[in-house]
Amino acid sequence: MNQIDRPITNPIVVLREESDDWAILFNPDTANAVGINPVGVAVWKMIDGKRRIKDIVLEIKASFKNASESAFEEISSFVDTLAKHNYVGYELKTTTIVE
Amino acid sequence: MSSESEMKNEDAEKVVTPPLNMLYFYLTEGCNLACRHCWLAPRFDAIGNRSITLPVKLFETAIREAKPLGLGGVKLTGGEPLLHPHFTHLLEIIRREDLSLTVETNGLLCTPEIAAEIAKSSNRFVSVSIDGSNAETHEWVRGVPGSFEAARQAVRNLVAAGVRTQIIFTVMRNNFDQIDAIVHMAEELGVESVKFNIVQPTARGVKLHEVQATMSVTELIKLGQHVELELAPKTNLRLFFDYPQAFRSLSYIASGDGCGVCGILGILGVIASGHYALCGIGEQVPDMVFGEVGKDPLEIVWREHPILKALQAGLPERLEGICSRCLMKRRCLGSCVAQNYYSTNSLWAPFWLCKQADELGLFPASRLGARPAQS
Repeated sequence: MNQIDRPITNPIVVLREESDDWAILFNPDTANAVGINPVGVAVWKMIDGKRRIKDIVLEIKASFKNASESAFEEISSFVDTLAKHNYVGYELKTTTIVE
Repeated sequence: MSSESEMKNEDAEKVVTPPLNMLYFYLTEGCNLACRHCWLAPRFDAIGNRSITLPVKLFETAIREAKPLGLGGVKLTGGEPLLHPHFTHLLEIIRREDLSLTVETNGLLCTPEIAAEIAKSSNRFVSVSIDGSNAETHEWVRGVPGSFEAARQAVRNLVAAGVRTQIIFTVMRNNFDQIDAIVHMAEELGVESVKFNIVQPTARGVKLHEVQATMSVTELIKLGQHVELELAPKTNLRLFFDYPQAFRSLSYIASGDGCGVCGILGILGVIASGHYALCGIGEQVPDMVFGEVGKDPLEIVWREHPILKALQAGLPERLEGICSRCLMKRRCLGSCVAQNYYSTNSLWAPFWLCKQADELGLFPASRLGARPAQS
């Protein structure tokens, strides 16, 4: 993969937090939206282009005592799903052109 | 970590006729109760010999013609479906055709023998209406003395027969303070779930709204949140508060709120007069009658009737007002098209409760988001 392991949120997507700690990610360009649970909200807030998935997983495990053993797989899958629907992107590696 | 389905707002895909999943049979125009809030206003008929009932032959015809279109189940409702003089024969037909069975009843005629007949269907579910935690309240709503204990006994009979049973409780000013008590009663009776309905401003419900015997939108939203966030976590029963999805918490929707994507595009009504209709609303609104069972081929009705085609092509994108801007519209589909049409003569009008909530500033802002206009 020619992309780095540091996901970054689509800057146009808006996080709308609701009273039960779930939230909606809303893309005003398309009016598409998706509901996410409190762990998803925490993950979303850590997707900053600086943290790797495994950094996020470590922080989630520290914050949520009931985080499952398969947290890495679940969070990776969650971020991949967000990426598939353009809520999240991955920066591409910088390539050097040698003439 | 994300809810089951995205709330997509993309262009409607090419319209194809959806499968006809369910037929709702409104078996009789009569009812042995006289409920103040009924959205169909059937004629009072204590023993079922004064009202039009759907002939068995037409019942069979509708099922036979619906099966190739995808029919998987039927709902028997009314009026009061157990007033139908050949009710057990209808159950035999349903079993023979291997269809799932849903019954909505007031329970008065649901004897142990009838419960046992219902239990013979492999996939059966019955809702019994109980609108109070005591006889005084229930019978004020339902208009007939003795109906409270009869309904409770019906629930006992159904549970004892092994039928998945639900209590339906319609919330109004005279009973809203019994919501917690009805859940406790439901636990004692051993039902699977309780559904809290809202009085719709249709037929007799119009009058209840006019005299303010119903709850305000503000109160309904608070009651819904009470049920979802306070009552539901304390009970093993499944609780459903039937307000539009825009008001339901995401956690509640994700836990399986029992009301996922609206089924209207896969449902057709058959009313007691022997006509196809959008649903029971056909008894009130002639525009919503689509053809005659046995005379008009169901396949043609289902594929070609202009109103059904319009709904298939237009929902949810043609919804107007607050519904056009709601992120839940792909799941909710306007909440109740029949109600919307009854009130406005438009298939695309917004649902009354959402419209009022919007006007009062109570519509959840997080659930709004229209697609930008194309330049």
